[in-house]
Amino acid sequence: MTAGKTLTVEFGAITQDNVEQLRKVNLACFPVQYQETYYKEVVERRDEGLCKFAYFNGFVVGAACARVENTEGDRQRLYIMTLGVLAAYRGRNIGKQLIQSIFDHFEENKDGEFSKVDEMALHVQISNDDAIRFYTSRFGFVQGEMVENYYRRIDPPHCYLLYKKLR
Amino acid sequence: RDEAHALVKEGLMNDMRSHVCWHVYGLLHRSDRNYNEAIKAYKQALRIDSDNIQILRDLSMLQVQMRDLPGFAVTRHNILSLKPNGKINWLAFALAKHLNGDLRGAVSVIDIYLGTLTEGAPELARGFEASELALYRNKILAEIPDNYKEALDHLSACENIVVDRTSWLMARTKYHLNLGEYAGAKGAIAEMFRSGMTENYIVHSMYMCVLDSGLCKEAWSLPGTRTLASYVPLSQEQKEKLLEGYKTDLFPDYGFSAAVQRIPMNLVEGDRFRNSLDVFVRKKLVKGVPSLCLELSTFLLEDRNGRYQLLDDPYDVKRHPTFKLLVELVDGYISSLERNKKLLPDDEHEEPPSTELWTWYLRAGLHELAAEYSEGLAMLEKCLEHTPTAVDVYELKGRLVKSSGDIKTAVEILDKGRDLDRQDRYINNQTTQYMLEAGMESDALNRISLFTKHEGNPEANLYDMQCSWYELGLAACYAKKELWGKSLKKYSAVVKHFDDFNEDQFDFHAYCVRKVTLRAYTEVLRFEDNLWEEDYYFRAASGIICIYLHLFDNPSILEDDKEPDYSKLTGAERKKAKAIARKKRIQAEKKEAEKRQKEAESADNGGQKKKGKASAVDEDADGKELLKKNPLDEAKKFSAVLSKHCPKRFGTWVLQYDVAMRRSKILLALQALYRMKSLDDNNAEYFSRLVDFATKSDNLKDVSPGVHRVTSTEFQKLLNHKPLPEFVAAAAGKAKEDKQTSLPLRAAIAKAIVKTKSDSLEAATNLILNDGLDGRGVDVDACRSALQTLNGFGSESA
Repeated sequence: MTAGKTLTVEFGAITQDNVEQLRKVNLACFPVQYQETYYKEVVERRDEGLCKFAYFNGFVVGAACARVENTEGDRQRLYIMTLGVLAAYRGRNIGKQLIQSIFDHFEENKDGEFSKVDEMALHVQISNDDAIRFYTSRFGFVQGEMVENYYRRIDPPHCYLLYKKLR
Repeated sequence: RDEAHALVKEGLMNDMRSHVCWHVYGLLHRSDRNYNEAIKAYKQALRIDSDNIQILRDLSMLQVQMRDLPGFAVTRHNILSLKPNGKINWLAFALAKHLNGDLRGAVSVIDIYLGTLTEGAPELARGFEASELALYRNKILAEIPDNYKEALDHLSACENIVVDRTSWLMARTKYHLNLGEYAGAKGAIAEMFRSGMTENYIVHSMYMCVLDSGLCKEAWSLPGTRTLASYVPLSQEQKEKLLEGYKTDLFPDYGFSAAVQRIPMNLVEGDRFRNSLDVFVRKKLVKGVPSLCLELSTFLLEDRNGRYQLLDDPYDVKRHPTFKLLVELVDGYISSLERNKKLLPDDEHEEPPSTELWTWYLRAGLHELAAEYSEGLAMLEKCLEHTPTAVDVYELKGRLVKSSGDIKTAVEILDKGRDLDRQDRYINNQTTQYMLEAGMESDALNRISLFTKHEGNPEANLYDMQCSWYELGLAACYAKKELWGKSLKKYSAVVKHFDDFNEDQFDFHAYCVRKVTLRAYTEVLRFEDNLWEEDYYFRAASGIICIYLHLFDNPSILEDDKEPDYSKLTGAERKKAKAIARKKRIQAEKKEAEKRQKEAESADNGGQKKKGKASAVDEDADGKELLKKNPLDEAKKFSAVLSKHCPKRFGTWVLQYDVAMRRSKILLALQALYRMKSLDDNNAEYFSRLVDFATKSDNLKDVSPGVHRVTSTEFQKLLNHKPLPEFVAAAAGKAKEDKQTSLPLRAAIAKAIVKTKSDSLEAATNLILNDGLDGRGVDVDACRSALQTLNGFGSESA
């Protein structure tokens, strides 16, 4: 895939009034269909720092949704639920800008809202080499253990946990 | 209100000579909108106390509201003589003279007033009121025929006190041009451009009057972005002259202006035009301009009768050289982008993905102009696969699907697009409109309610906001479903809005004179005089007329609720019929009561949450009262208004004809035919009514022989003095020859052929089928009605 010049995007919140566009992006990017609960949670939380659209030339061309999850010992992690960019706009560093903005959001609030957050994590289907490379070589994520049968309806159903220590 | 009436009447009975009572009586009538009664009451009061300024003032406002202009002038004169030290009285008197057409008189009144002011008085100094008064006086001077020199001199004299510099410059330009002095206008035009009016197309047109000052009159009535360059065919030298002007005068200082870039494109030809078009389109494709196709369609001009017309029939569009050029250019961009992501093969850098999206979108738009719906939809499918979040694409896709005949699918598409951005009021309105057209009125109400106030009934809110487009759409929806009462109710709501528009001017009569905004005020009066010309009023009135005519033609529609004729039945049948009728009535009343109870309850529940006022329950929600009116009388009423105020619309005369024929007023019908002919003699509606008149007019009763004689002689002229079958055959021959003949006209002629037996059934059918789809006027509605016509001929031809 050719990595052409960067297309600078702007970010915007995901709300009740435009959540349908999130559905469109996810439908176009992912082989899995997400549950209503996922969309409900994203809309209700209304947290532009963690869930956002990427806009280019007035269109929503990508989206990233993350949330704070509890881990052992009263600690927390930033979990990336979805990160997708429409096919026509890939290879233009838009995904990079989305992830970077979440990192930046963490940095700005690491002593406040995210004081208990130690790492960022996500799951990637084991066959998705592009994604694995994206996170590991660009952002320094570590490939962790394989989780078997994570997915119900796609093949292969297994995935890797990718994580990065933030402190 | 009834109490007030009763009390006032009592007061009058006690003392007929009390001017206060009459005054109050007049005020009461005024608030009831019985203006004529109010004027009578005021005049009575004045007979008793003729110097009462308050009464005179109230009377004058009513007189101008009712446009009793001579009366208004008299009243204002009286007031002025009673109180000459009031500035307002002078101005109002001048206004009265102006409205009555006594322009010199108006000017002299203003001058006398100005004469009463001492030197150095604040009213004479530069300021808003002095400025407005001066410009008003100037405006009156300009209205005097051929008086531009005096107006111009006055303009120069008052330059220092005028604050509205823009109006001053515009007026100066106009006067110079009307006097044929372009040189004088030049300075003013330059100053207007300098002050930021570069996007004002009228100023550009006036700039172009350097070619011929005589064109100025047409120049400032051009709408929108039309200029002289795109309206009047110019010679090569004229174009070169203007181009030179734009290059040297305007481009250096105003190169950023959209208008300055766009207007010269109408002046170049051949390769220069191609290049400028290429640059123009590419720039907008990269930026991403949804209205680009609409903008480009303004280049599709054709010289008709010495003036350019914009083409919109796909037949004409497809054949226009600029359209072909555009298609060539855009197809070139598409293949170039596909190959290596560049708009032009020799471009330096690649385009972002959005450019390709906009290019496909533009191509789909061009397909729409040419009525190539499947090709357009294919293009849009590519767009949606590329960027499924682009709301504009859904809108165009829905429009194409609608144009190709499937309104229900179009609604689905549009609704999907709307769902992507629920804050977008525009797409919500579009969805609502489409739903109304598809007969889905409850869904439509659902959608539009997303944007109405939170409290109260949304339909009531739309009524209060005078949302005419919705009410017209809903009325048309009901009419299609044959819910005549409800439809009439909605059309009448729009008519009521217009009555309110007329009514609302009342407060301005006092206010504007006080604030000395006399120019704007006279414009408002002129607007109100022409209020009934508006589009929405025409649609409402014609909707009402069509329904009433339908009810007149089919009286059985209304008879379902009526009691059967008992005298014709035997005793036992009568008893049975009465029992059935009573049962039906009780059931209907029960349903009504239940519904009203439910509405009241829900209004209560809603009212408990917020402090909104409970909306008045509409007594006659189904419009039953409207159905009871005499249909022909109502139709005649509206038709008269239209004929008086909308004479330039073709539809007005179609309606006048239809109403007149049913009333046996053949002179009116004939007048309508003549008017139709002068407006558009190729129109299918005109043709079919010609045939109708020829066949019906002899058999109409209630027509005096004298009238018959006159009409038959005049009517023969319309038929070119041929007998009807020959006329029809001639028309058919002409239609066959001319491949461009519109589909509706073909269908109308075909029907006439069958009716008058002027040719075989086969000939009639062939007229429609051969080349029918290749001419003008081919759209879904035309095709549907042509198909209906063919079906009417018998199963063979269909």
